[in-house]
Amino acid sequence: MAYIIAEPCIGTKDTACVDVCPVDCIHPAKSRSYDDGRPTFDEVPQLYIDPTECIDCGACVPVCPVHGYFPPGGSAGKMAGLHCDQRKLRRWWQVSA
Amino acid sequence: MSSLREIIHENVREGELYQKLDREWVRCFACGHCCKIPDEQPGVCKVRYNQGGTLYVPWGYVGCIQCDPIEKKPFFHAYPGSLAYSFGMLGCDLHCAYCQNWVTSQALRDPAAVAGPMRVAPTELILDALHQGGRVIVSTYNEPLITSEWAVAVFKEARAAGLLTGFVSNGNGTPQVLEYLRPWVDLYKVDLKSFDDRHYRQLGGRLQPILETIQRLYSLGFWLEIVTLVIPGFNDSVDELTRLAEFLANVSLDIPWHVTAFHKDYKMTDPENTRPETLVRAAEIGKKAGLRYIYPGNLPGQVGDWENTRCPNCRELLIERYGYLITGYHLTPQGCCPACGACIPGRWDAAFCRQITAHPFVPRTPRPDLFVLNS
Repeated sequence: MAYIIAEPCIGTKDTACVDVCPVDCIHPAKSRSYDDGRPTFDEVPQLYIDPTECIDCGACVPVCPVHGYFPPGGSAGKMAGLHCDQRKLRRWWQVSA
Repeated sequence: MSSLREIIHENVREGELYQKLDREWVRCFACGHCCKIPDEQPGVCKVRYNQGGTLYVPWGYVGCIQCDPIEKKPFFHAYPGSLAYSFGMLGCDLHCAYCQNWVTSQALRDPAAVAGPMRVAPTELILDALHQGGRVIVSTYNEPLITSEWAVAVFKEARAAGLLTGFVSNGNGTPQVLEYLRPWVDLYKVDLKSFDDRHYRQLGGRLQPILETIQRLYSLGFWLEIVTLVIPGFNDSVDELTRLAEFLANVSLDIPWHVTAFHKDYKMTDPENTRPETLVRAAEIGKKAGLRYIYPGNLPGQVGDWENTRCPNCRELLIERYGYLITGYHLTPQGCCPACGACIPGRWDAAFCRQITAHPFVPRTPRPDLFVLNS
């Protein structure tokens, strides 16, 4: 299980969440390139959480200025068309990028 | 009537295990999360929080107190039969779905976790521990690492009164917190809950900081025992238990490893309760890895001879147990085997004293003169 980042992040990309995340599971981080071909910060409309890395601690939620974080399984996540599944996330994310 | 958050935030003082950063952020070193915390936010544990660039930490209260036999902690190689006066505060850096102490550990994370803290001073706690016949005072029930400053304050008084000290912890530590604790903590139990990083992330942590903490605890000279709660379908595969036992054996063959039985609790109610044969299988995996002291726990009388301590050299029976009850004690005053003279690693008394209790009990406190219930 993992938190997800939903629509309010689009165009915002505030990175307070990246700064507080204790396990560095929010991507893409600024000034970071990814060996596996994932896009960089400037190439995406919004941030995303890698669900295999997220420890579900919730540190990202209160620092988000646009209330873009939702716990898994909630209606807000469904509304945003996102699911807590890395493959689906990646697919969605590649289409959007 | 104050909320739990208000009560917790009233019982604080400035922490010692942190570093000030720019923009009034701080970095906390109490646990392996090493949270970077912005102003007016708590860390992952919810009970250490930043206000104006100062980290405030829990202080001056206990969430619960209990007198336990030391075997319940469990420490099997430290002062067998002695009374462990046990206290906890509130909060935890993990959120294990099977936590048995979730009412205190999940404070401020789970709205259903509401426990009334009691204000107390370290000297008052020590007086009560002595009054109950305590030999060891232990910080347990919630994660003690995140309340290390308070534990050290209590342990300083404990040392002065001749008590020994212990931590019952998830082991999600840092080099800084272990250096801070080293002068004041004698006994340290780590829950090594899994050997799979994916499982640890489900519980709210990572495997690597815990493995590093175990190695550091051993090299720093804490008396260390390890517990693995064996949960069917979660961490009981032969592969996982083998890798876990081999890791421990690589640190030291002399570390006691407790493999304990899970029962359905809190949010984890799907797996079946652990059966005795599963525990014995885990114990045999530990034996194959070379570990010398393995104790299946939580199922008294159902795991045969495994509850006892035997000399790894000549198999002489050294300590006999039934659950938390010591039924026989045959070590020499130096902690050695009476048959072959091999010394058994641990912290031993010169002689076994009668157990005060083999069952946990809540002391007849809060005594109104010592403890004041918050309102």
